[in-house]
Amino acid sequence: MLIPRKVKHRKQHHPKRRGMAKGGTKVTFGEFGIQAVEGAYVTNRQIEAARIAMTRHIKRGGKVWINIFPDRPLTKKPAETRMGSGKGSPEWWIANVKPGRVMFEISYPNEAIAREALTRAIHKLPMKCKIVKREVGES
Amino acid sequence: MSEVRIAAEPRTEFGKGAARRTRRAGKVPAVLYGHGTAPQHITLPGHDLMLALKTPNVLLRVQGLADGDALALPKDVQRDPIKGFLEHVDLLLVKRGEKVTVEIPVNAVGDVVAGGRLEQPVIQLAVEAEATHIPEAVEVDITGLEVGASLLAGDLKLPSGADLAADADTLILQIVDATVATGEVAEAETAEAAEGAEPAAEAGEGTSAE
Repeated sequence: MLIPRKVKHRKQHHPKRRGMAKGGTKVTFGEFGIQAVEGAYVTNRQIEAARIAMTRHIKRGGKVWINIFPDRPLTKKPAETRMGSGKGSPEWWIANVKPGRVMFEISYPNEAIAREALTRAIHKLPMKCKIVKREVGES
Repeated sequence: MSEVRIAAEPRTEFGKGAARRTRRAGKVPAVLYGHGTAPQHITLPGHDLMLALKTPNVLLRVQGLADGDALALPKDVQRDPIKGFLEHVDLLLVKRGEKVTVEIPVNAVGDVVAGGRLEQPVIQLAVEAEATHIPEAVEVDITGLEVGASLLAGDLKLPSGADLAADADTLILQIVDATVATGEVAEAETAEAAEGAEPAAEAGEGTSAE
């Protein structure tokens, strides 16, 4: 599972949720991609689940790219704990995904299988997504 | 390539409020610059511009400017990342006979050999061509290319009047063995094999993060 090798601060504030993706909004490596239509925190478990869903469907003869990285820790206080006593302990690693971001890309010779693989991956993600195609020669 | 005529109106009010009013009226804010002239802020009809920009490197004849018509190429196009509608366009002034560096699509034609898979890391190639005669695309025939074969930018047969502006050693496409797992897929298989050991590794990394 994806996890930062080291972090400057173990516990961080929650990342900002507003706004649109500033970059990474086009398919650059593969032929098809998954684009976020809503913003969400995507955990490393969800990224891994989506990747496994894709790679198990396409088997061999394709390639998958992951364009997001879960670089932000989220903390959680233990259950039945009174308020106070400092911030909880890190529980999840998340990528702060804004609308428009292309999160996964795939290259596979058969378009139907590639789309089905992406659909299966979308089911593992916490937000509404759409499948986008690399457009050649678009200004 | 034929030119597309498009009617421009000068833009007098600026800022996001004015730009949004312009977009609501079905128009697109744009800026026209080049040849050391002062930038001209204009408004273009949204639908006509959208249709024109479907052609890569379309040559636009911008009409209705203070100093007559002008030829321009789209330099930068800003779109809404989800809906895809035009938000703003940068136009670069060009003259007849002037050489410009533009990116044109690289289209692979033909069928991949059995057992092979086409990998095309470069889909647009920088070429230098006359502004009024920009080729629409470079066609690359991949019929008969064996598994393991690759094509570099220098190997491509460019359309007449176009010179290569990119590095000749740039890899354009290659035919890889479809039966061999590559990149992420290969990693996936190793990761799946080592699934049992994952929680321990995760715990170890978690402590190193602290």
